[in-house]
Amino acid sequence: METRGRMTIQPHGDALLIGGAIDEAAALHEMITRATGGRLVLDLAAVTFINSLGVRDWIRMQAAAQQAGLAIELRRVAEPLVHQLNMIIATRGNAKVASFFAPYACDACGREESLLIDAVANGAALAALQPPAMRCPECGAQMAFNDFPERYFSFLHA
Amino acid sequence: MVGVSGAPSILIVHPDRKTQRIVQRILGVTGYDIELADDLEQALRLLGQLTPVLVVVDADAVTSPRIAELFTAAAGRGAEACMTLLGGTQVDRVPKILGLGAVTNLLVHPMPVLAEELTITAQKLIRNDLFGAEKYLLWGTELSEIEITRASHRSEIVAALAAQVRARGQSARVASMAMLVADELISNAVHNAPIDAAGVHYRRELPRDQELELDGRHQVRMRWGCDARYLAIEVTDRFGSLARDQILEALAKENVRESGTGAGMGVALAYRSCDHLVFNLSPGKRTEIIALLDVRYPQTERVAASSYNVFVERS
Repeated sequence: METRGRMTIQPHGDALLIGGAIDEAAALHEMITRATGGRLVLDLAAVTFINSLGVRDWIRMQAAAQQAGLAIELRRVAEPLVHQLNMIIATRGNAKVASFFAPYACDACGREESLLIDAVANGAALAALQPPAMRCPECGAQMAFNDFPERYFSFLHA
Repeated sequence: MVGVSGAPSILIVHPDRKTQRIVQRILGVTGYDIELADDLEQALRLLGQLTPVLVVVDADAVTSPRIAELFTAAAGRGAEACMTLLGGTQVDRVPKILGLGAVTNLLVHPMPVLAEELTITAQKLIRNDLFGAEKYLLWGTELSEIEITRASHRSEIVAALAAQVRARGQSARVASMAMLVADELISNAVHNAPIDAAGVHYRRELPRDQELELDGRHQVRMRWGCDARYLAIEVTDRFGSLARDQILEALAKENVRESGTGAGMGVALAYRSCDHLVFNLSPGKRTEIIALLDVRYPQTERVAASSYNVFVERS
């Protein structure tokens, strides 16, 4: 039977690409040793799942990084992780979010898509809870943000 | 449960006449007498003559300083449950309502969804027929069932659930939420539910990645189905060790991390990840938790807060 996939870590440019499920089998704190130049850059686009046990490990990793004086940058944060960052304040730590995925839906063709938002370029709009405009990759129509902005963007305003 | 007229009753406390009438019409299908009060004072006076099965309280009234008096009086008169109805503009009151620890049923929804959920909630209470996700799904919806016989099954089952949800045309977001909710509820049922005669949760501290063969009573059942309105995930253990107050306490924590170990954090995460969480408790026999994910489109027409119900089976 298919499983949800173990967490994987791969170098990806200046970042570590994290994929799969962050759960009881994850050992996130081990990533601390792979920081370079006082920075730990995590590309989280391929994270498919994180449960409460993964969250505990994530919080421990954040705390260890803080203790070691490391700056954490989160890139392309996948929706399952955004969900946890919004629910559990402690998961945010001192990490800086560079970009993240967000749910959009197309009124014209009904397609739902997770689209990447640049948190820096769109910083002012996001602070005003205004999701950036996006085009449907299938029909080209304007897509609508498919969640509650006050809830989905709350992790950006820790 | 005898009302003023001698029939079983439901007491509605709401200042708005239009809402009173809407709720009266919805709950009228139960066949119970519906007693109406405009405020807490009138409700307290009425309670002197009533033994309602259910008290439905407006969100404004439920945050009043006198609400504890009403809940105590209602419980003293035999009320099975106190329910609060919350409109889409009142979601900021959820933490305060949860903090009361006395509201066993909170329904957060605009009409017409309210009518469905209110009717189901009232009928479950009145009939003492609590169990089964079928009650929340349209007639004819198929439920898939799986028995979990070893702890490591959880990861496989959760992955299979997500794949099947996607195969039915649901979005990655819905599949992801379904995975999370199922994982937390199964983990809770496998590790937190088992309890010995002394009340010790003997599997609570075991590492979650440790393999466990689950014999008869330790086996956990998961069922799920989708009727294109709701995706329902139902998880049942055979211990019935989860208590009403423990649930209300876990839901009340504003920061999920404060929910601590044991069932607390899993329950709190599940609540925040679905649109409606239902606890059906048969103490010492079984606990059934049903998570409902609203899959109607578009999401933005929904309300940014979750409903919950805690039902305890009458012996």
